[in-house]
Amino acid sequence: MQFVSLSVFYSKAEVATVETELLRDYRFGQQQLIEIWGHACAIAVTKAFPLSSLSKKQPTLLVVCGPEQNGSIGLVCARHLRIFEYEPTIFYPKRSSQSLHQDFTVQCEKMDIPFLSYLPTEVQLLNDAYNLVIDAILGPETDPKEVKEPYAGMLVTLKQVKIPIVSVDVPSGWDVDEPAKDGINPEVLISLTAPKKCATGFSGKHFLAGRFLPYDIQKKYELNLPEFSGTECVIEL
Amino acid sequence: MLGVRALFGIGLLVTSRGGSVLTHTGACARVASNIYSKHRQACTMANTIKYLGQEEAQHIDEELFNEYSFSVDQLMELAGLSCATAVSKGYPLQSLLRSPPRVLVICGPGNNGGDGLVCARHLKLFGYEPSVLYPKRPNKQLFQNLTTQCEKMDISFLSEMPEADVIDEAYNLVVDAIFGFSFKGAVREPFGDILSKLKKITVPIASVDIPSGWDVEKGCPDGIQPDMLISLTAPKKAANHFKGRYHFLGGRFVPPALEQKYQLNLPQYPGTDCVYQLN
Repeated sequence: MQFVSLSVFYSKAEVATVETELLRDYRFGQQQLIEIWGHACAIAVTKAFPLSSLSKKQPTLLVVCGPEQNGSIGLVCARHLRIFEYEPTIFYPKRSSQSLHQDFTVQCEKMDIPFLSYLPTEVQLLNDAYNLVIDAILGPETDPKEVKEPYAGMLVTLKQVKIPIVSVDVPSGWDVDEPAKDGINPEVLISLTAPKKCATGFSGKHFLAGRFLPYDIQKKYELNLPEFSGTECVIEL
Repeated sequence: MLGVRALFGIGLLVTSRGGSVLTHTGACARVASNIYSKHRQACTMANTIKYLGQEEAQHIDEELFNEYSFSVDQLMELAGLSCATAVSKGYPLQSLLRSPPRVLVICGPGNNGGDGLVCARHLKLFGYEPSVLYPKRPNKQLFQNLTTQCEKMDISFLSEMPEADVIDEAYNLVVDAIFGFSFKGAVREPFGDILSKLKKITVPIASVDIPSGWDVEKGCPDGIQPDMLISLTAPKKAANHFKGRYHFLGGRFVPPALEQKYQLNLPQYPGTDCVYQLN
């Protein structure tokens, strides 16, 4: 897999503008984009943690999903990981009321993916049960100063786990434009579409996932994305 | 110290459609692992893959949308990606004489055409130069959106079907996304004319799900003879009559419960690949 270094990172404002353009002008559907992102995320997880590399007897993992788009991407990711023969369990405390997002929940339930009813604060339970945690709680649209319960509590728990955390798009609780000094510390970051400013200097494994962005948008925002090889939809940065 | 079992046992309710709602028992810890171990057992039974009849294919499709709550645009995205991936495996960029290689994608009036539009978009991202012929466009938002997505990727749309010799000159490959598994009865224009031209070309044809014009179960001895067939979800009986070089399975989204219900005996896709080569 190719390793690439990037010079341009996306700001919070640009993320919002690009997404609006994708939906309004390019006529991508929201469920379509979430499917693309979730699928690519799952592939990135398999590259960071191949089945054979997992230390526990079963390839278990916990996917923690927030109430907005980032959470739905987590649901789709969990579904594809199930298809890839992993054994995900989902924690999804506050479900979105939008039917668009509800469909993703049903799809996971019908794949026989278990849903936890609460996240234990005894961190050792998580360390023992799962090989890794996928953080799909908060995305770039969240303001880190306004993180309410139950998410603030969940982040406290996640800061203490010993198993690796894989964050989807933005480590939950971080500001999109700058890394958090006392936030969660993921081992792996999967940036969607383009890396955000807070990923500058990220010291863990960093993947770019999602190969769909029209060339016009790439040029317009000077994203200078690296080239994907073959039919890959994930690049390790 | 509390172990894994307790994670599920102590005050936690683990719910899943397959299992039952649980409360404070240590034994209930098994539910999550049982869900997965049952699936593992089922997979070790080696059987041949099932080839579907037309009605069965339609039932499976309906279940995916009605019971499993998938949306058409989700599954179409995955299906189209499988098609583009199969094309790039059978006809790699470097193996084709033109750079970038040009692909003519012919889209029919239904969902098969939609799969073709998604396929065209991904082929463009993979470095091919697709052109789309989409003579009969359904009046539905989804298809209009997919068309716009292609247009905004600078994929050209032809205004008419070129003659067979022009296709051979200008393109390396044709993707046939005209008719799918719902096809029945007579072929309406302009597709009759399009299919008779496709019978004359020498460049390879890659058909999406069903070679267009073929009976979905019985095939068609004097119909088009594609070089590649990309069966989606599961192969249909028509595939028994396929004589081309490449038969791929795509559409890697079938829930285990659905696979078991219809005894599809799907093969194990390699790694995270979205296609499986059947021949």
